[in-house]
Amino acid sequence: MADLAARRALPRPLRSRLRPRRAGVVTAGLVLIVAVGGALLAPIVWPLDQSAVALDQTRLAPSWSHLGGTDDLGRDVAHRAVYGLRVSLLVGAVAALVATVIGGLIGGIAGTLGGRVDRVLMRIVDTIAALPHLLLGIFIVAMLRPSLGAVIASVGLTHWLSTARIVRSELLSLRTRTFVDAAISGGAGRGRVLVRHLLPHVLPRLALATTLMIPHAVWHETALSFLGLGLPPHLASLGNMISDGEGSLLTGAWWASLVPGAVIVVVTLAIAVLAARWRDRLDPRVRAELQL
Amino acid sequence: MTTTQPATTPTRPADSQQSPLLSVERLGVRFRLRDAVVHAVTDLSLTVRAGELLAVVGESGCGKSVLAHALLGLLPDNATVTGRALLHQPDTEPVDLVSCGQRHLARQVRGRRIGLVPQSPATALNPVRTGRRLLGETLRAHGRERAQADRLAADVGLDPADLDRYPHELSGGMAQRLVTALALATDPPLLIADEPTTGLDRPLVDHTLDLLRRRCDAGAAVVLITHDLAAARRVADTVAVMYASRVVEHRDGGEFFAAPTHPYAAALLDALPGRAFRPVPGHPPMLTALPTGCAFAPRCPRRTDTCEGRPEPTSAGGGTVECHHPILPGAAP
Amino acid sequence: MTSPQQLLADEVRVAYDRQVVLDGVTLSVGRGETVGLRGPSGCGKSTLVRVLALLHRPDGGQVSIDGTPVTGVRYAVPVGLRTRVAVLFQSPRAAADPRLSLTDLIAEPLRAVRAPEPGVRERVAELADLVGLTPDLLTRRPHAVSDGQLQRACLARALVHRPDYLLCDEATAMLDASTQAHVAAVIADYQRAQNAGVLVITHDEALMGRWADRIVDLAGAVTAPAR
Repeated sequence: MADLAARRALPRPLRSRLRPRRAGVVTAGLVLIVAVGGALLAPIVWPLDQSAVALDQTRLAPSWSHLGGTDDLGRDVAHRAVYGLRVSLLVGAVAALVATVIGGLIGGIAGTLGGRVDRVLMRIVDTIAALPHLLLGIFIVAMLRPSLGAVIASVGLTHWLSTARIVRSELLSLRTRTFVDAAISGGAGRGRVLVRHLLPHVLPRLALATTLMIPHAVWHETALSFLGLGLPPHLASLGNMISDGEGSLLTGAWWASLVPGAVIVVVTLAIAVLAARWRDRLDPRVRAELQL
Repeated sequence: MTTTQPATTPTRPADSQQSPLLSVERLGVRFRLRDAVVHAVTDLSLTVRAGELLAVVGESGCGKSVLAHALLGLLPDNATVTGRALLHQPDTEPVDLVSCGQRHLARQVRGRRIGLVPQSPATALNPVRTGRRLLGETLRAHGRERAQADRLAADVGLDPADLDRYPHELSGGMAQRLVTALALATDPPLLIADEPTTGLDRPLVDHTLDLLRRRCDAGAAVVLITHDLAAARRVADTVAVMYASRVVEHRDGGEFFAAPTHPYAAALLDALPGRAFRPVPGHPPMLTALPTGCAFAPRCPRRTDTCEGRPEPTSAGGGTVECHHPILPGAAP
Repeated sequence: MTSPQQLLADEVRVAYDRQVVLDGVTLSVGRGETVGLRGPSGCGKSTLVRVLALLHRPDGGQVSIDGTPVTGVRYAVPVGLRTRVAVLFQSPRAAADPRLSLTDLIAEPLRAVRAPEPGVRERVAELADLVGLTPDLLTRRPHAVSDGQLQRACLARALVHRPDYLLCDEATAMLDASTQAHVAAVIADYQRAQNAGVLVITHDEALMGRWADRIVDLAGAVTAPAR
């Protein structure tokens, strides 16, 4: 207790304890390499017939021949989980990118122009943010037909709000910094200040926001698929698999839902750990401390 | 504003007979960088007695802030600390701050025995707590009444109403006063103040300095780290001048400002606008490439061939000086 | 008719929300003179500097340079006019883009007006030498140099366009005595060579007395409590 109180009054180095340890970062990196590598190479090294079933091998417990067991249609859970991850990562990355582009543009316009434009845009953002993400996502999918594109649109169109807010507030606070005054006084125009002094500070944060959004996007896609609004049911996606496995849970075949569930938790956690580390490196105060 | 009567008191000689509170012996701090080693503190020896206000002065980048952080074990991982820094305690054995370990420093030393007023208050304050909560928690953790927060704030010249603000709502000067109040909340026997007057205007600078002075007069010790010679002159009992990671002169404050013995100290005082207003010629050496001999020699008007060798600390005029050719009182300039 | 050679704030009024910071303040800085500006904390000295630097639009009154009234503020001021007034800010850390090396920091105002690159490099080298920055420092970024070194770079940047007026807002408060004396000497030399007008804000009476030809007291439109 005394320690805590004293620590608050002390400068930053103690907080280094709170940063992810190197071992955690290395583990997360390895997990991500395996996950992304597996997802990319799977069609070459371990092809899957999405529609194949084996009704003589249903609900087998995990064993050496079926590492993740089999589901109620006799399909290898581990095998399908790799393909499910493929879909999840694709949807996650593309949707995060879509969200970043939309959020970056809206936030960029609000933050650069300020004033009335800023107020109007931010009220729109607030209004959308007041609606539950998932509900809005379901609405968007429902208007389109269940497909990869619809899922990406659903995730991308609901997740740009936080990015827009980050970019806007970053730009607004940068605009009032003394070094911008100094640049103006030195003869720099609006465009020069934007390109030379504002964007270089915002872009790393934007890239970070994108990365932090991937886990959200993956979860959102999983939730949609679980509700039967994602990909067509015969295609392997982590959400579909968890949903399918739900029935098997009651018969004791826990692996059918748990294996894809574990995959999504581990992979999204790995992304989050690496992104947190990256965020720390972006902080100039921490960076200065790392160097000296 | 409260009273600003002259702060220096004539009660010094009695204090000097006391045993030291902090004795630093041959302290060294090095930082390993990718391509170089920074020698931030070299062979530094100092003592601080109870009731003494020691001012550590020098140009920016001479290593004076690193000294403060080294004493509190607040250096980053790439730092190596050598030597000893003994903190004497009334009832137990002295503890060596260099070797006692983080756990001991955190539980027994920081905040309790040594308080720190950090240089950049903005990064030292928990952003999600108001000043009142920060101060209240610190007070309670040290067995004092939360209600004392208002009085502490008033002591440092902060309007108690401003305690209800969050750190980001405070100006730089207000944040500076809040961290000073936090450091004082634990009433430590030794206070290290690292540029405690940054961002304050003159009346508040004087107020803060007088506050530190009064702590010393009440028996506590203060190490004031500052680039501001006028501040040091106002309140310091003793002055240590740091140059290129070393203490080159350490002696009584009054004597120091009247007649410095180290040529660097003399040149630094000559740079004051009230004196010659003449900068010290040349540049300080980089801490990554310190010369083997006297580090000030290239800029020194008194240098000779002997300055190629390292000067040993010698006693001169009641203090110590590291120079082959000190300016001795009475001698021709 | 010859217009007066001075930077003039004429009956300037500034208010933030309802709080009036400057109420009809008139201040002139003539070419070749050093004006000291002092006043209690919160009396609007920094705001007046921002108004004179054409960075803040006054709510009343106007700024003129050598008799020419300036309309607009910040980007709206023609570059040729804007660069005639330079500012040296109190905190070099805040005034330096942390991503730029010191060389780029000093060169930036020249590059912003598309000066030819060889000339830029020459001018940066000349100014770096003038303010006492060694070549090894020039490649570093702000976080790797001390406040004193960074303020020297900011001074070089302020002088890069050879401004006719230089405004120093507590610019030496956080510097050690030697660096302060050096910065003041560089500014004084520049002032003589360029016949520039200099405005100095400082709380240090000794520095003020040493540096300023003429001292102006800004009483402050509002008597803010000294905090």
